[in-house]
Amino acid sequence: MKSILSILGILFFVPFTTAQIEKPKISISYTNAQRHEVLLQLEQVADINFYYDRQWLGDELISGTYNNTHLSEILEDIFAATLINFFFLDVQTVILTQNLVIKDELHQSFYKDSIDAIHTNSMEIAKNPAFYLMEKVDSNSKIETVRIGKEQKSTRQEKYTLSGIVRNNLTGEPIQNLAIIQKGSSNGVSTDINGLYQIELSAGLNSIQTKAIGIETVEKRVIMYNDGRLDFRLNDNVEQLDEVVVESNRLKNVETVVTGVVELDVADIKNIPLVLGERDILKTALTLPGITNAGEGAAGYNVRGGGTDQNLILLDDAVIYNPSHFFGIFSALNPFTTGGVTIYKGSIPAEYGGRLSSVFDINTKDANTKKFSGEASLGPVTSNLTLEIPIVKEKSGVILGGRSTYSNWILNSLDEESLKNSKASFFDIVAKYNDRVNETSTIAATGYYSRDAFSITSDSIYSYSNRLFSLKWNRKLNDKNSMNTVLANSQYGFNIDFEGNSDKNFNLGYRINETEFKLKFLKLHKDNHTINYGLSSKLYVVNPGEVVPQGSASIVAPLEIQLEKGWESALFLSDNIKLNDKLSVDLGLRYSFFAALGKSSQKIYETGVPKNEGTLTEIKEFDNNEIIKTYGGLEVRASTRYFLTPSLSLKVGYNNTFQYIHTISSNTTVSPTDTWKLSDINIAPQRANQVSLGFFKNLGDNAYELSLESYYKKSNSILDYKVGAQLLLNESIETEVLQGEGKAYGVEFLLKKTEGRLNGWLGYTYSRTFTKLDSDFIEERINNGEYFPSNFDKPHDISLVTNYKFTERFSLSANFVYQTGRPVTFPVGSYFLDGSEYALYSDRNKFRIPDFYRLDISFNIEGNHKIKKFAHSFWNISVYNVLGRNNPYSVFFVTEDGSLKAFQSSIFAIPVPTITYNFKF
Amino acid sequence: MKQQALTFHYYILLFLLAGSFFSGCTEPFAPDLLPQAESILVVDATLTNESRNHEVLLSRSSQEQGKLQEEKNATVRILDDNQQTFTFIETEPGRYISNLPFKADTSRSYRLQIVTSNGKSYTSKAESLPQTSQIENVSAQKTVTDNGSEGVQITVDSFDPTGNSTYYRYEYEETYKIIAPKWVPDQLVVLSEESMAVGVVNRDPNKEERTCYATDNSISIILTKTSGAGEDRVSDFDVRFLNKDNFIISHRYSILVKQYVLAQQAYSFYEKLQDFSGSESLFSQSQPGFINGNIFVDDDSEERVVGIFEVSSVSEKRAFFNYAELFPDEDLPPFIDECRPTNFDIDGTPSVFEFVKSNRVSYTNNVTNPATGALEEYIVVPRICGDCTVLGSAMVPDFWEE
Repeated sequence: MKSILSILGILFFVPFTTAQIEKPKISISYTNAQRHEVLLQLEQVADINFYYDRQWLGDELISGTYNNTHLSEILEDIFAATLINFFFLDVQTVILTQNLVIKDELHQSFYKDSIDAIHTNSMEIAKNPAFYLMEKVDSNSKIETVRIGKEQKSTRQEKYTLSGIVRNNLTGEPIQNLAIIQKGSSNGVSTDINGLYQIELSAGLNSIQTKAIGIETVEKRVIMYNDGRLDFRLNDNVEQLDEVVVESNRLKNVETVVTGVVELDVADIKNIPLVLGERDILKTALTLPGITNAGEGAAGYNVRGGGTDQNLILLDDAVIYNPSHFFGIFSALNPFTTGGVTIYKGSIPAEYGGRLSSVFDINTKDANTKKFSGEASLGPVTSNLTLEIPIVKEKSGVILGGRSTYSNWILNSLDEESLKNSKASFFDIVAKYNDRVNETSTIAATGYYSRDAFSITSDSIYSYSNRLFSLKWNRKLNDKNSMNTVLANSQYGFNIDFEGNSDKNFNLGYRINETEFKLKFLKLHKDNHTINYGLSSKLYVVNPGEVVPQGSASIVAPLEIQLEKGWESALFLSDNIKLNDKLSVDLGLRYSFFAALGKSSQKIYETGVPKNEGTLTEIKEFDNNEIIKTYGGLEVRASTRYFLTPSLSLKVGYNNTFQYIHTISSNTTVSPTDTWKLSDINIAPQRANQVSLGFFKNLGDNAYELSLESYYKKSNSILDYKVGAQLLLNESIETEVLQGEGKAYGVEFLLKKTEGRLNGWLGYTYSRTFTKLDSDFIEERINNGEYFPSNFDKPHDISLVTNYKFTERFSLSANFVYQTGRPVTFPVGSYFLDGSEYALYSDRNKFRIPDFYRLDISFNIEGNHKIKKFAHSFWNISVYNVLGRNNPYSVFFVTEDGSLKAFQSSIFAIPVPTITYNFKF
Repeated sequence: MKQQALTFHYYILLFLLAGSFFSGCTEPFAPDLLPQAESILVVDATLTNESRNHEVLLSRSSQEQGKLQEEKNATVRILDDNQQTFTFIETEPGRYISNLPFKADTSRSYRLQIVTSNGKSYTSKAESLPQTSQIENVSAQKTVTDNGSEGVQITVDSFDPTGNSTYYRYEYEETYKIIAPKWVPDQLVVLSEESMAVGVVNRDPNKEERTCYATDNSISIILTKTSGAGEDRVSDFDVRFLNKDNFIISHRYSILVKQYVLAQQAYSFYEKLQDFSGSESLFSQSQPGFINGNIFVDDDSEERVVGIFEVSSVSEKRAFFNYAELFPDEDLPPFIDECRPTNFDIDGTPSVFEFVKSNRVSYTNNVTNPATGALEEYIVVPRICGDCTVLGSAMVPDFWEE
């Protein structure tokens, strides 16, 4: 344990210790000066800046003379009799911190008292106080000593319980998943969703430490006289994220109350082998149980047997409709600006809604507000540049990221005439501004735009783009309450530009735009309740497509499918209740409501018969903003965690969800021309219910995390389409839509090793997912109305992700993936019609394409860590698909010259080597 | 659709060029198909407003690719809503022809009824005749396609002022003149079977073997619709592209384009059929499945029927062109065969006798001894190069115009 912590210490404090080495020696003399005066003098002499609160320093007068002495020595003397601690942020910046609670007198008496109190934990006390002093220099927080409980002479226990709440000093929000570790032992707990923790400590002196991503690490000496309470108020960490992550959340696996949550941080994926040089957090998520896609290079994600349209993908709280580039080979998230992603695949928190299967909550890093920095990468397909620019020092900053391909340039510079007009390009840009307005408020604003353009045939250009904007305001109302306001707008659209030689030139466009306002309150009630409540309201405007004739010769009639408008709102309330040490529950309720709004003409069909031109009875007209149809319902989000043993927990969850917006696609995989449609008079919302059960265990001093989860999900009114449906620009889409039932179940196993030279994870999932489309009418029935495997039903899925560090600079990574081939519809025979042979297709998804497997290897070289170096470099050499496995992506049957031929296509059929160069400055 | 797959290959190639080793690929493969418990009835029936003996083709789906399995001994008839019955008789296996010529009438609706030899009965939905629309023009133009192939594009213009036609399907029948490139007035014949002797004689003047005519029918589904357009006008619609290298346009070529105006359901049936049988884009695949037509089994079973009873209005127009008109002063397209000459020693082995006897060669010339003038060798080419009847018929078609 200790060695892990010291490694941690090295990792964590490297910048500071090295910075100290660079510090100049100085000469200074002062007599009977107040401390702050001395500091001012030092600022002059040593060209440094101190950051502190004047009040801490008091009015005492001090004197001293130093000749060619290290600054740190001088500072130690200055602050010797105070509670002030200092650390060097860089050569020119010294931050002073102060103990908030303890008075000098207590501090003085501490050693004596603790010696008296100790029974068991004598190891700590045996250590020389100098040990602490040393640590104090290293650490950016000071070690404070706290006495807990009133000592009772009559009853002396071996162990006492320390509990309390950990909050963010700035926002007052509880900090969850913060680890509290007893130093020098394997004892440790983590805070729950309410920031609450409870740890058993030996009577007497204990040293405890907090650890979490982005939160300062604080160490305290705690003398336990009895059970008691210790609250923490912690600041956000001034550290760079990358270096901290791996060691954090040590107990999160077993502690979290919510089931089916996956978290990934960019730092975790740095060494994972790359395809064409792109680091990709969402592709990495696919190696975790329960998250799959239709195949290599496919866009869209299937979470626990859900469709690709059932995921709410949020970037800084705004929806991204199509987070992929180049048909899904790359994801559209900039890997350098992305901080991390949390994926809720089981119990979705009550504050989120509108999609059945999952929430992908992706956040952008906060900009460095201290100094200008940046990161760039050069890969074979794209280049990427990220800049972090402080605006008001220590207060606000902006992060800018941009990424683009060069493929278009390559295409244009070719001599080949037929390719000159071809296009395939994409780019994405992201900017985030973060501002600590004052002690109680923070503001963050994010803007994002991504665009893809490609031409499949030389007479048409396809393009699609995502645009989003979000504004967030967090405000602490008082110690117990805080408020969180979000305003977000997203737009997704695609365009087809057709310019052949004929008179049919046109331009086709599709757009969806949504604006959401969300207000969330957080209330801490007593010690054991954390209550979240609020409301969200969203307005959708969909332009399902318009055709604009191009050129005067075009005889294409302008066509505009009527706009769709919808209003989706929800009220939510959740309470995380700690019932006792072992049992916690998280109860959430969400009432969601959807109204389809005019202006619109809605087609009314006879009930009980298939909808088609013949059964159309009436067309109802609705005025602008008139309510056409409303849907709504109560959604329950409940989960509970029970500790069977301190390192083994059992979690159970139940979840139901509604979805009012649907992807319209007649493809088996996601295509860029898929459109989204709102529920209306003819299309009901999709609904799902999920129950999940999981066991979570930490082993080997928390070095191994083990989980076994299972789920059963039933969905209703999920959308499918009649065979060969023509969906684009269809004015009567409801005549092509089938709504059926779905069911999915699975068992997910994950073993994760987070520490040591060898780390990584092994996941295995057994899951099935089925669809049923039944009707009294043959044209609305698929596979005789029985359950059939969905397009993404892949029962066995094994992923192994490993990384081995030879030294701090060299590491080797390998991924292995095996999946059952996905179901496809094959011909079971052939027939002749009009002299040509055609395929007679089987029942839907009766066959499978061959199994998928792939091994990737990469070798990573970190540049050296000399502080003076301008840039810190990182090389990644990857070979994707080392085995050269020709994994079929799809199979299809073509009638050519009157006879039937079978083909299979694959995307990466040979090993693909790539070299990427990254550097930070 | 085919174009798409091709272009993706270009991308793949490009990425290779770009040094990023992106390597997609599409290749033929042999799927393992499970045997289907029973084969499905396939109906190919078209009733038009042309007065003739209409045809219904019945077959069964087969697990064996490339094998047509006819449905014999069925009872086939068409009923109209005026209780009139048109009966069909089987003239050859699977081919049923109406007893009497008749045509679809605009005021009536029609049903197809089939009783197969196993006693199962099938009926179509009632279909009526769509709007009639005349082909205005069929033209042949020299063109270069988007991917750079030079050739001849056959296009169609049609206009329906009533605006009701909307859904069009085309078929064509192409007839082309073949001139055997190595034809000479002489031929090699077997003089004596016993002595295996052959000799050069004049060709039979009554047996035309130099100029022939061949006719092929279209085998792909050609569809267009005017529903997105401002008016019901088909203009410059591509029906057939003939590459400049295609030998069938070497001399004179004629195409008869038939335009069928379809009901929406029939159009959508063919559209799906076309959609599922075309090539796929590499990155997304449309969901194939069973395409429901308008013919159903009369009992309540799950049995399905492939195909559609199409009632359509037809209009046709013919066009002609000569290669030399479109490509003056250019070489003819290469003939279907290389016509490589082979020399046979008159007495040597292998002997030309076997080839002449089995009619596999055409005589073109001989070699004589320059000193003595004695015959030494026969020069022959594959029969196809000297005898056009291999490819077509010597009969000049009725419609042929020079």
